[in-house]
Amino acid sequence: MSVLIRLEDLRRTYQVGGEEVHALDGVDLEIADGEYLAIMGPSGSGKSTLMNIIGCLDSPTGGRYLLKGKEVSSLSDDELARVRNEQIGFVFQTFNLLARADALHNVELPLIYAGASPATRRQRAVEALAAVDLGDRMKHKPNELSGGQRQRVAIARALVNNPSLLLADEPTGNLDSRTGDAIMELVNRIHAAGHTIVLVTHEEYIAAHARRIIRLKDGRVESDERVRGDGAAPPAPAGE
Amino acid sequence: MAIDFRESSGIAFAALRANKLRSLLTLLGTIIGVSAVIAVISLVQGMNRYVSDRLLAEGSDVFWVDKYGLVLDEDAFREAAKRPDITEADADAVADVLGGQAYVKSEASAGLEVKAGSRKAQRINVRGVAGDYQIVDALEVSDGRALAALDVERRRSVAVLGWEVADQLFPGTDPAGRSVDVEGRRFEIAGVAKKKGSFFGESQDRYVLVPLGALQKLLPYEPGITIGVKVRDAGRLQQVQDEVRAVLRARRHVKVGAPDDFGITTAEAFLDLWKSFTGTAFIVVVGVAGISLVVGGIVIMNTMLVSVTERTREIGVRKALGARRRDVLLQFLVEAVTLSLVGGAIGVGLGVALALIIGAISPLPSAVSGPAILLGVAMSALVGVFFGVYPAARAARLDPVDALRYE
Repeated sequence: MSVLIRLEDLRRTYQVGGEEVHALDGVDLEIADGEYLAIMGPSGSGKSTLMNIIGCLDSPTGGRYLLKGKEVSSLSDDELARVRNEQIGFVFQTFNLLARADALHNVELPLIYAGASPATRRQRAVEALAAVDLGDRMKHKPNELSGGQRQRVAIARALVNNPSLLLADEPTGNLDSRTGDAIMELVNRIHAAGHTIVLVTHEEYIAAHARRIIRLKDGRVESDERVRGDGAAPPAPAGE
Repeated sequence: MAIDFRESSGIAFAALRANKLRSLLTLLGTIIGVSAVIAVISLVQGMNRYVSDRLLAEGSDVFWVDKYGLVLDEDAFREAAKRPDITEADADAVADVLGGQAYVKSEASAGLEVKAGSRKAQRINVRGVAGDYQIVDALEVSDGRALAALDVERRRSVAVLGWEVADQLFPGTDPAGRSVDVEGRRFEIAGVAKKKGSFFGESQDRYVLVPLGALQKLLPYEPGITIGVKVRDAGRLQQVQDEVRAVLRARRHVKVGAPDDFGITTAEAFLDLWKSFTGTAFIVVVGVAGISLVVGGIVIMNTMLVSVTERTREIGVRKALGARRRDVLLQFLVEAVTLSLVGGAIGVGLGVALALIIGAISPLPSAVSGPAILLGVAMSALVGVFFGVYPAARAARLDPVDALRYE
C-alpha cells in the first residue's frame, strides 16, 4: 500500500489575544491508500484543526504535509483549492448543500470548478446520485429531502470528482441513530469499493466502523490503534 | 474559468423576485440614470437631426448677409443695432460683383395684419422680396404663379400667400384672382405657396410674399435688408462669401483691420450654434444621470455586501469543493452585473418610452437610436462591475475555515 498522506511534526499555532495557542503540537501520522481511519478526541484536542489541514482548508505553521508525496503545506490559496477539488471529498455534519439548487446541481458543483463540460457534469452527477440510491430524487431541493437523503447527496457530491480521500466530519451528527447507521453503511460500502476514508468523530460507535483509530489530546497523537471494524466489511486492507 | 453562471444570475433573479419593492428601490438609481440618459440622447439626437434636416434643406450652398449676423447676447445685439442698415443698393452691388456665380435676393420683413373681407390674420410675416428670391428660397407655388420680375421692378401690389395664411383667410376656396388688404392697401393674390410644415411647432407657412418695393411703400420707415445668396457651385461657398465681404466692406467704408459692420450667416453656422447649445444641455443631464448612477451603484454594492455576508457559509462550501478566488469573485460579479443590467434594461425601456411620449405630445422630435440603447446597457453593466468588485473581492478573500464555521 502506497502512502497517501504523511504528516511530519505538524504544528498549527493560533494567536489568540496576543497569546500563542498550539492547536497542533507536533503530529506525526501516515495514512495509506485505501485506509479507513477515525480521528477522535475531545473538543480542544486539535481534531478540527487536523481535519482542516488534511483537507487543505488550512495550512500548518510548522512541519510538513505530503499528499501523494507532494508537499502541500506551502501552497497558495488557489493551489490548495485545486488540491481540494481533485483530491478531497468533504462530508460535513450539517450537509452544507446549496439550498436553492436541486440535488443534481449540488452534486455538479465540484465538476464546475474542475472545468468539466456541462454534458460530462450532468452524466457524472447522475451516476454519483444513482450510486447513493437517489436516482429518483435528482430534481429535489434540499428542503424536499430528509436528513439522510441530504447527507447522501453530500456524499455523492464528495465522490463525484473521484477524490483520493473522503473526509467526513461527524457525518451522522445531525441524524437520528437509524439514519446514521444507514449512512455509515454507505460509508463502509464506499470504503469497500477502494476509497480512503478519514472520519472525524467523537462517537465511539461511529469510530468503531473504522479499521484504525487515532486519538488526539492537546494537539498530539495520544494513541493509534488498529481495530477490526464493526460492519460486515471485508478484512482490513491497511497494514505496513 | 469555472463559474457557476446559472447559480449566480439565478440568485440575482430570485432575490429580485423575492421582494419586488426592495428590488425596485435597489435598482432605482440605475433605472433613473439610464432612462435619463436614453431619453435625453434620444431627444437631443432627434432635435439635431430635425434641425440639420431643415437647415440643410434650405441649402448648404446658401448664406445670408444682414447687419446683425449670429448674435448670441443682448449686448452684442444692441451694438449691432447701431450699425447702418444693409440697403438695396448694397444688394445690387453684391449681385453685380458675383454675376453668374450666384443667385442673389434681398428681403425685408414686417409683422402686419392681413385682411380678406371680414377675416383677419394678425402678425403675419409680410416679406418684401426682390432679385432671385424664388431660387434662393426654393419657393414652390401650388396655386397660381409666383411674383414676376416685373411685379418686383414695378413695385406692384401683388402677393403670394403662405399656405396657412391662405387657409385662414380663404378657407375652402381658391384665393387665386382675389385680393387681401395689408395696412389698408389692396394686394392682388398671384398664387399660394406650397405647404412647408412647422419647425419646432412654429408654422413655416404664416407669411405673405410681396415685392420689396411694395412693402417699403407700406412702412413708415426704411426696413433693413437681408441679402440671401445661393452659390451655383457649393464648393465655392467660401470664396463667394469672401467676395461679398470685400464688396460690402468697401461700400460701407470699413477701415482696414476693423471688424465687419455686418454679418454673414451660413446654414452650417446655425447648425454649429445649435449643436453647441444642445451639447451643453446634454452634458448637464449626463452629469445628473451620472450622479444617480453612482448612487444606484452604491445601493447595489450595499445589497451585494449583505448578500456576501448572508452567504458566507455557502462561500466556504464552494471553496471546500474547489472554487478558487477568481471563481468566487466572478460569481458575485455576475450577480452584481445581473442586478444592474436588470436596472439598465428597465431604464432603457423607461427612457425609450419617455422619449417617444415626449416626441408624441410635444413639438420636440425624438429619435431613439441603437447606439443610445447600447450605451445605456453598457453603462449599467459598468455600474455593476465597478460597484460589484469590492463585495466580490471580499467574498473571494474569505478564509474557507472561517467561512465554513460561520453561523
